[in-house]
Amino acid sequence: MSAIAVAKKDFRDAVRSRTLLVLTALFALFTVGGAYLASWAAEVFEGGAETTLDLIIALQTPAGYLVPIIALVVSYAAIAGERESGSLKFLLGLPHTRRDVVIGKILGRTGVVGVSIVVGFAFGLIGLFAFVGSVSLVDYLGFTLVTLLFGLVYVCIGVGLSSMTRSTTKAAIGAFGLIVFFWFAWSILVQLLLYAVEGQFFVEEFPDWYVTLLSLSPDAAYGSALGAVLGESGLTMSGMYGGDELPLAAGPWFGFVVLGVWALVPLAIGILRFDSIDL
Amino acid sequence: MTAIDISNVTKRYGDELALEGLDLTVREGEVYGFLGPNGAGKSTTINLVLDFIRPTAGEVSVLERDAQEGSLEIRERTGILPEGIELYDRLTGRQHVEFAIESKAADDDADELLERVGIADAADKKAGGYSKGMAQRLTLATALVGEPDLLILDEPSTGLDPNGAREMREIIREENRRGATVFFSSHVLGQVEAICDRVGILRDGELIAEDSIAGLEDAVPNRTRLRIRLDRIPEDSAAALSAVESIDGVSEVEAEGTTLVVSVADEAKTTVLRTIEDHGVTVEDFETDESSLEDLFVAYTAEEREVAP
Repeated sequence: MSAIAVAKKDFRDAVRSRTLLVLTALFALFTVGGAYLASWAAEVFEGGAETTLDLIIALQTPAGYLVPIIALVVSYAAIAGERESGSLKFLLGLPHTRRDVVIGKILGRTGVVGVSIVVGFAFGLIGLFAFVGSVSLVDYLGFTLVTLLFGLVYVCIGVGLSSMTRSTTKAAIGAFGLIVFFWFAWSILVQLLLYAVEGQFFVEEFPDWYVTLLSLSPDAAYGSALGAVLGESGLTMSGMYGGDELPLAAGPWFGFVVLGVWALVPLAIGILRFDSIDL
Repeated sequence: MTAIDISNVTKRYGDELALEGLDLTVREGEVYGFLGPNGAGKSTTINLVLDFIRPTAGEVSVLERDAQEGSLEIRERTGILPEGIELYDRLTGRQHVEFAIESKAADDDADELLERVGIADAADKKAGGYSKGMAQRLTLATALVGEPDLLILDEPSTGLDPNGAREMREIIREENRRGATVFFSSHVLGQVEAICDRVGILRDGELIAEDSIAGLEDAVPNRTRLRIRLDRIPEDSAAALSAVESIDGVSEVEAEGTTLVVSVADEAKTTVLRTIEDHGVTVEDFETDESSLEDLFVAYTAEEREVAP
């Protein structure tokens, strides 16, 4: 399988990056800090050493912010960088299809992001044992797996972007534009739309379309998927927007569907685009 | 059997025409030298053969397969040394060769290949620390993986010292003897002259000549380079120069102090000497050298001259 050979080579190459080391250290710092905050929260809620809540405080916040950044930093230059430098001609001079290269890159870079996540979460785990004292390992594992999936989604987005341009600068701008879009612009736009439709920002009950739109960003979907795995509704749209009958897209398990779409669409666009261009 | 068959290929980048109606055939088992000045379209042609880029019009087939449809099979049987090598800075030389072996599902020994191109001692060094010549040798090692039927080398002697260039030629000869077809581009004529069976000359995206080296030499009227030493510079040197230049059969005149270098058809030699003496100077000495591929190259690629086919 040619994509595997590309992935292995790519992993070996990218995992030696210094930027990755710095980002992983930062991530570990945040998860340990999160574990500390979790122990503080446990005291506040008095004996409420509710394991999933600890995990959420310790891990979801740092992962929700840092995994997209790490994944995009690791992947934005995956193809554009090789096109820019010319090493892509070495890679494609060997018998790999362009699709194998895109898929290999995604696998390789996901491996790299995976190492970073596992290292960060290992520190978080140590922190939780040290500060809180007890952790549900099953929940922890579920948390890690969903986060790896979340990393994969952002790697697909990053590699997809990377396959569309020859310029790493453009790929970087695209990647970070996307982060800004998902973190800020998305919800602001949805708010504005709400205002346009309802004439005000505060409504008694949020309309279904509003909750649906907010649920469709990869970050919201990560929350939903975590909620589904941990059986904890506080993370999901259903938890936040209360209503008894929620639109399909806001349901916890639907988070996986949304994540899947965010992985596959950029992947498909990337493959199609990369297949047709001149190197 | 043809190894590479390019027929009526045009490649346009936006408004820029890189190749126009190119026809080129490389026969199986030959060493084909692809000559042309930088920017003539040599790399564009090679990129088309490797399916790195797609033609605007025309057909490219390699090893009897369509360059686009059959690209994977073509690359399974082809070894490639692209222009301006860039490698993976963080991987070692051996890792590069091992990756090529794995990619081609070959059973070569990485160290043996590195030994063959002369960088066995740098096998465990990261390629980021390699000199240009070492990177070139490493890429050649990866191109040799799996005993390819076709070797495509874009300016293979770039970055190599004369000794390295000689070793490169030796390897090309060995590979050809083994049965590989070799297609390589160069703007260095000595490279081509020494090992090619046939040569194609590309100028401004068009193949202006394709022949054996002997055939090419025949195609150009016998030219001699005449080095003429004068006793002094003529008083009206500009007039003297233009007088020489205007002689029928003279293609190029260069003055270096009291020495005049004139490229001239054999039959016009005496006219040149007489014209110079007419300008009041004495020819102290003159010597001729046979037309080299260099002259031939100039004759074919210089803009202002037309050479009968």
